[in-house]
Amino acid sequence: MTDYNLPDILLLVDKTKRFLIWIPDKSYIVLGASNKAEDALFLEKVKQDDITVLKRPSGGQTVMLTPNNLIISVVFFQPDNLHPKVVFNQINSLIIESLERAGVKNLAMRGISDIAIDGKKILGSSIYRSKEALLYHSVLNFGEPASTFEKYLKYPSKEPDYREGRKHSEFVTSLKEKGFSQTNNQLADFISQRFELASLQSDGFIKSEALF
Amino acid sequence: MRYIFNFPDIGEGLEEGTILEWYVTKGQAVKAGQALCNMETDKVVTDIPSPKNGTIVATFGKVGEIALVGKPLVEIEIEGVFGAEAVVVAKEEVKPPLTEPIDEGGAGVVGTMELAGSNALLAASDEGSEKKEVEVKPVKKALATPLARAMARDLNIDINLIKGSGPSGRVTKEDIQNYKPNKATESVVRQESYKQPANADAVTYEPLTQIRKAIAKNMINSKQSAAHMTLFEEVEISELMRIRDRYKKSYADKNSKLTYLPFIVKATVNALKKHRQLNSQLDMENDRMIFKNYYNIAIAVDTPEGLVVPVIRDADKLSLFEIAQKISELSDKARDRKLTIEDMKDGTFTLTNYGSIGGIFATPVINYPQAGILGIGRLLKKPIVKEDQIIVGNVLSLSLAVDHRIVDGGEASRFINSIMEYLSDPVLMMME
Repeated sequence: MTDYNLPDILLLVDKTKRFLIWIPDKSYIVLGASNKAEDALFLEKVKQDDITVLKRPSGGQTVMLTPNNLIISVVFFQPDNLHPKVVFNQINSLIIESLERAGVKNLAMRGISDIAIDGKKILGSSIYRSKEALLYHSVLNFGEPASTFEKYLKYPSKEPDYREGRKHSEFVTSLKEKGFSQTNNQLADFISQRFELASLQSDGFIKSEALF
Repeated sequence: MRYIFNFPDIGEGLEEGTILEWYVTKGQAVKAGQALCNMETDKVVTDIPSPKNGTIVATFGKVGEIALVGKPLVEIEIEGVFGAEAVVVAKEEVKPPLTEPIDEGGAGVVGTMELAGSNALLAASDEGSEKKEVEVKPVKKALATPLARAMARDLNIDINLIKGSGPSGRVTKEDIQNYKPNKATESVVRQESYKQPANADAVTYEPLTQIRKAIAKNMINSKQSAAHMTLFEEVEISELMRIRDRYKKSYADKNSKLTYLPFIVKATVNALKKHRQLNSQLDMENDRMIFKNYYNIAIAVDTPEGLVVPVIRDADKLSLFEIAQKISELSDKARDRKLTIEDMKDGTFTLTNYGSIGGIFATPVINYPQAGILGIGRLLKKPIVKEDQIIVGNVLSLSLAVDHRIVDGGEASRFINSIMEYLSDPVLMMME
């Protein structure tokens, strides 16, 4: 297992960028800060398929990233006045707005920090916070079949209320499965534009100084 | 003096966290804001800062163990608190911790936090007898489905007493339904106030929509930030009705609908020009008023999803016809959920036309940070006195709510009088 070294970790040191929307170059499994590989993974299958396992600094359960996902990362420096709940709410609201503008319907925030379509998870997010910075990151499942997650990830030790005991394949969906026809690069542009707008706005629903 | 620092809610509304790492040990000096430990909740990993300067006397919980929100995390010997104060505090009854916002210099956690109150300061000499109050044991928590947890909570059952039949010993709904407390466990069933037993048909849970969340946030912000004061008035508008009837058809020919609202927008803009306090906002941070030299009238629109408030920009530069068209366009966009943030920002004064649904008077909530909102009630036929004769009048009720920090009662009255003058004599507003 390796320490988290994916592109968004650079947001914590490169202070010129406030967010990064990126597509993984291959499949990774990323353990939450307190997750143990033996508890969270079907290790034999992970080894057999030579999937890189990382441990991220943020909370939450183990996730799998693939080139069919979009990873959305936002950093805030000097986060003394930022409430994690507010950050989840505001960033996920912007993502929902972007997806709605791209034509995705029936989106809703579920659990502590998920976005779901028709009760099925499409995005999960987590936060790492130190005195200097707060890093939000989320995984949007653009087109990965839920069966991939079921192959490598065990049933998590904690679950949101709306999961209701469902296994990965019944709980997770993807935009492609829901008939979304644009590419993940196009979707990344939609979300980037919305984030840019939020960072420029002086008022409206989002207080830019509180967010970006 | 000893200070018990309880594990605060770090902002998710959760009840517990897992200790990932301790940065301090017993006997170590700490400063306010210095990280005590690294804690993980369901979705967040964060450092927990010390609220005080002092020396660590004890830490509660080991790495990997669960800490409960509101329960002691560390005990700190605080510098500079001695003697009589300590004795007085120690004699006080130990009460539950206070909940208050924390604002400690240098601290990295903000929001509503469980803070130990002054009564949690224990005199050093009494610590042996008080220790039991603060002792924390690691929590062995049962694995359970959320539904099972909710049912157990509703039924006052300690879920940790139940042997689960699900995967990895997870407690399921069926386990709760089949649970029968025996004599040994009866004594630990919590005795709380009566709660309605879990019944799937009794309530329906639905997630909050984004619009509802935004409405809730904005309404509370307004009520907490502005000093609301409301004036009620009635205005006779028979002349306006005649003008509207005369031009309604020509508007319809141009594919536009002439309602009373464009007249009210026009009257409001004209009145705002005369009474600039109503088109302003208070900038407390910089000790100044901001008077707007533009007139963006926000219109509250009722949609199936909830209230939205699009804005007619530069309404002072628009003709009555253009205002009517704009209202129609924004209403359509609101109902089709096509409004953008651009459509809804920068309003300077708001109108809310609840009368079209049925209300007469109201106490509207100001669209903060604006200075006022005008509520338009139902148009009613009422007896009125004109030239000493009782006749049937067409009476429109108005409710003006203002931020009394900005607008005095006299100015509010003069403003609503101006609007009434324009509405009762609409030619006047066209002349200006």
